[in-house]
Amino acid sequence: MAVDVARPPTRTGSPAVPRRRRPVWPRVWHFLSFGAPGVLVYVCFVLAPIAVSVGYSLTNYNPFGPKTRFVGLSNYKQLFTDSEFLTSLKVTTILTLIVVIVPNVFGLAVALLLDRRGWLYNALRSVFFTPVVLSSVVVSIIWTRLLADDGLINQALRGVGFSHPPGWLSDPSYALYSVGAILSWQMLGFCVVVYLAGLQGIPQELHEAAEIDGAGPMERFRKITWPLLAPALTINTIVMLITGFKAFDHIQVITNGGPGTGTTATIAFNVLQTGFNANREGYASAMAIVMLVIVAVAAAVALRILQKREVSM
Amino acid sequence: MKRIIALGASAMLAFAAMTGCSVKDDSGGGGGKGKKQITFLVFETPNMTPQVWDAAIKRVTDRYPDISVKKLVSPTQDRTAYAKQLLTSGQFPDVMVAISPAGFAESGNLYAWQPNELKDFTYPNNGAVNGKIYQLPANTQTIPVVYYNKSLFAKAGIASPPKTYAEMMSDADKLKAKGITPFVVGGGKDIHDALGPTFAGILGTDLYAKNPDWMHDRRAGKVKFAGPDYVKAAGKLADLASKGYIDKRMLSQDYAATQSAFLAGKGAMYAMGNWFAAAADDPKSKPPFDIGQFFWPSDDGKPVVPAFTGGGLLVSSHAKNLEAAKKFALAYQLDKTNLDASTKNDGLFPAIKGYTPPANSGPAFRTGYDLFKQAETQHAVVPAFGFEAGDDGMLPGVVDKWSTSMGDLVTGRKSAADVGKFLDSEWQKAS
Amino acid sequence: MRRSIRPLVATAVAAIFFVPLYVVCVNVIKPGPKIAKSPASLPIPPTLHNITAVLTRPDRLFWVSLTNSIVVTALSIIILTVLSSMLGHYLARGKSRWGRWLTLLLLCGLMIPPQVILIPITQVLRFAHLMTTIQGLVLFNVGYYVPFGVFVFTGFTRSIPVELEEAAAMDGAGRFQIFWRIVFPLLRPATASVLIFLGVWIWNDFIDPLVILGPGQGTTITTGIYRAIGQYQADFGTVFALMFLATLPVLIFYLALQKHFVKGLTGGATKG
Repeated sequence: MAVDVARPPTRTGSPAVPRRRRPVWPRVWHFLSFGAPGVLVYVCFVLAPIAVSVGYSLTNYNPFGPKTRFVGLSNYKQLFTDSEFLTSLKVTTILTLIVVIVPNVFGLAVALLLDRRGWLYNALRSVFFTPVVLSSVVVSIIWTRLLADDGLINQALRGVGFSHPPGWLSDPSYALYSVGAILSWQMLGFCVVVYLAGLQGIPQELHEAAEIDGAGPMERFRKITWPLLAPALTINTIVMLITGFKAFDHIQVITNGGPGTGTTATIAFNVLQTGFNANREGYASAMAIVMLVIVAVAAAVALRILQKREVSM
Repeated sequence: MKRIIALGASAMLAFAAMTGCSVKDDSGGGGGKGKKQITFLVFETPNMTPQVWDAAIKRVTDRYPDISVKKLVSPTQDRTAYAKQLLTSGQFPDVMVAISPAGFAESGNLYAWQPNELKDFTYPNNGAVNGKIYQLPANTQTIPVVYYNKSLFAKAGIASPPKTYAEMMSDADKLKAKGITPFVVGGGKDIHDALGPTFAGILGTDLYAKNPDWMHDRRAGKVKFAGPDYVKAAGKLADLASKGYIDKRMLSQDYAATQSAFLAGKGAMYAMGNWFAAAADDPKSKPPFDIGQFFWPSDDGKPVVPAFTGGGLLVSSHAKNLEAAKKFALAYQLDKTNLDASTKNDGLFPAIKGYTPPANSGPAFRTGYDLFKQAETQHAVVPAFGFEAGDDGMLPGVVDKWSTSMGDLVTGRKSAADVGKFLDSEWQKAS
Repeated sequence: MRRSIRPLVATAVAAIFFVPLYVVCVNVIKPGPKIAKSPASLPIPPTLHNITAVLTRPDRLFWVSLTNSIVVTALSIIILTVLSSMLGHYLARGKSRWGRWLTLLLLCGLMIPPQVILIPITQVLRFAHLMTTIQGLVLFNVGYYVPFGVFVFTGFTRSIPVELEEAAAMDGAGRFQIFWRIVFPLLRPATASVLIFLGVWIWNDFIDPLVILGPGQGTTITTGIYRAIGQYQADFGTVFALMFLATLPVLIFYLALQKHFVKGLTGGATKG
């Protein structure tokens, strides 16, 4: 079946070549020449810093403060009674949910709309993908301008008769959702392209066969399209999940964590605020480690659920 | 495909190699041989453009040709936060301008000026940290002055600026009745500078007028944010919003947008530091209406003028060429042309002995300067809350919380009493 | 009936979606004072003033940032392609338990938010005397993005029949020869994906160059924009022009490679 083209050959799981006992030195040399450079940089610039972070998180390290000493797990204990951290946890969760759901839903809708051949659809696909290519700083500046009280959106709303349009970024009850919408706008194109790729991997014959069997468009979507889009859904969900958790640039440029105290401050934002601005690096490191654990667990759980779904299809 | 990549990559590399040699960095002077190089952290605003900084630096390096200066530009308005970031990542500059010394000084990262080096300054003891001066007390800023739009005042039938807080409130009511937003404020990432002056007006005329040593008492634990004085002032700010005198939606405006809003006539009053005079006088931004000035009125009408003296250059104690850095900082600060330029570009009042502003300074600057000199002789000057430095200010790290808590008051997320409690707990964490 | 409606609906949806970008495009060539008043109006008469203002800044902010961004991005993606394709090949062809653990360890790196490691990174770089250097930033980029490269290349290498390599080995070709002469050319779609994604990400990166490069080495294009907001606070024409010029190279890069990139995405990435 043509779908297999988009999937790894099933053969790869089992050894293609019979295992031979080889002398150890060529294998070591193979690793040193092919694997080691990449692994080394990764260890130096990702794993080692994480280890350093874990170390800091057990101290009261503060370049401005008293002498650094070991404080055990007290930073971690403090985190779970710190209203600021708990708020940022809530903010991050809401933001991540928005960023996982909105671009996925709208991305699928747009992909279904654009799933045709021709220059027009190619051009429109590029339109949707452009924001993905833009810097988050650029996107943030554009939207800050558009959502300002005298910006385009409120000008338009006033034009059609809303004399008191909401303060999209200044009202604590809207700001987080506005930021979520901005992030969703930027990432929508990613989902569109991935779904389109998935859709175009579905053989036309399946649809035709189903149509002959008398299946309506809804049923065909439910029975054929949706199940076969499972790998695309997995990718989109994981990428959006990580995007939501990482959200930092937009917050820094658009709201700086406000309006008010911490209404849009994500964990990522709080980590750097605490580390660089309040200089409580030990505490910031503990926050970072907790964040890392949450991201890892969330991604692993999502991956497990989604891939199980893929396999069972 | 491969060819496209190879082509693109080689083109990029070629371009990089080409420009890489000619364009190195964007600093002012290069580091010639035998010269003592120092780094200087500055910030850019519509008035303080790269050209302005380069010219000011050049005046000093022309005088001391053995010093070469590498200009560093802060990417954010919040210079202090950026300097902390640089310190944390091991890039602390040698000389910095207009950064709060709190935190840096206590941890021994700044050079403490000696009394004989400060002999030319009018207030040589201002902004001390543990009794020592780290930031040259170069200029005075009145925070806030209330700038008002004379044509909007006339439209609402207000003949003269208010003398008491109650009068100001009734004026605000008249303005609101005419559909005019009484106060222009801002927030967003610049909440400290865009909303802070308004609150400093309230706190200055209320809390500091009553007890000019309030902050020292707070440091000594004798008063609390949750105490009646602070809560009353915080309540006044919240009231301005709940009565609709402040438009909450303006909280999304950054500093520049706030200034533009007032200059575009989108509100009647703008409580801002006297540096706003620079924009009011600048022919490029000068509005079509006349701007008047008055100081934030107190309850009983007694003149109270919140002001802050400091804001000058700081020198890192780790500077490789410490002597050169000190020489540069003092020369930069005392250069007559630089001082004249600072009055024009930033509306500052130099606090240098024997200095008088140039005769051709703009009307808004002149009015503000005369008002301040008058207040000085009346001994009406109190600290500007949230803008003080060193021992006179909040603990390092609390100012940020104070800023965001203003947003909580204006949006009504927290009551004045809750904000007081919140700040006390943040104070506790920071100490 | 439905056949004629689809292009209309699609175009309308895309048009609404495009409004923010339209605003940037028209305001780049609109005189400054008009922007705040009528952000959406057509730029008549157009002006090049905003663009020349950016290009002729006396401190050459745009040119310096552009150079930095190009150097950092080009070096990073070239090194990343080399290292991660080889590592990906090593992992895809290896069958040992150790290789599987290594793969897992690298995949974990895909979800590490940079903020988590940024503060200690500065210490590691200072220790190696690489802080505030282009080399330091490039090395950080390589380390941080190697997992993505490996993820794409490992998946793709598995789809290439191993028999090709075995045949070449029989003919006496060395390991490097086999990889660069035979395998690497077959990895093209994956290479395109890696180049595009990493190119865009590194070009647009904000907080890492802001911290690692610091203020002394000049800015990259994103941090340059961020810094320029200070000066052009109220001058949106110039801000938009700067953003437009900063985005142009990466946009062209993407449009030029997009066909291959979509292929790479379907071939490599959808495999998981």
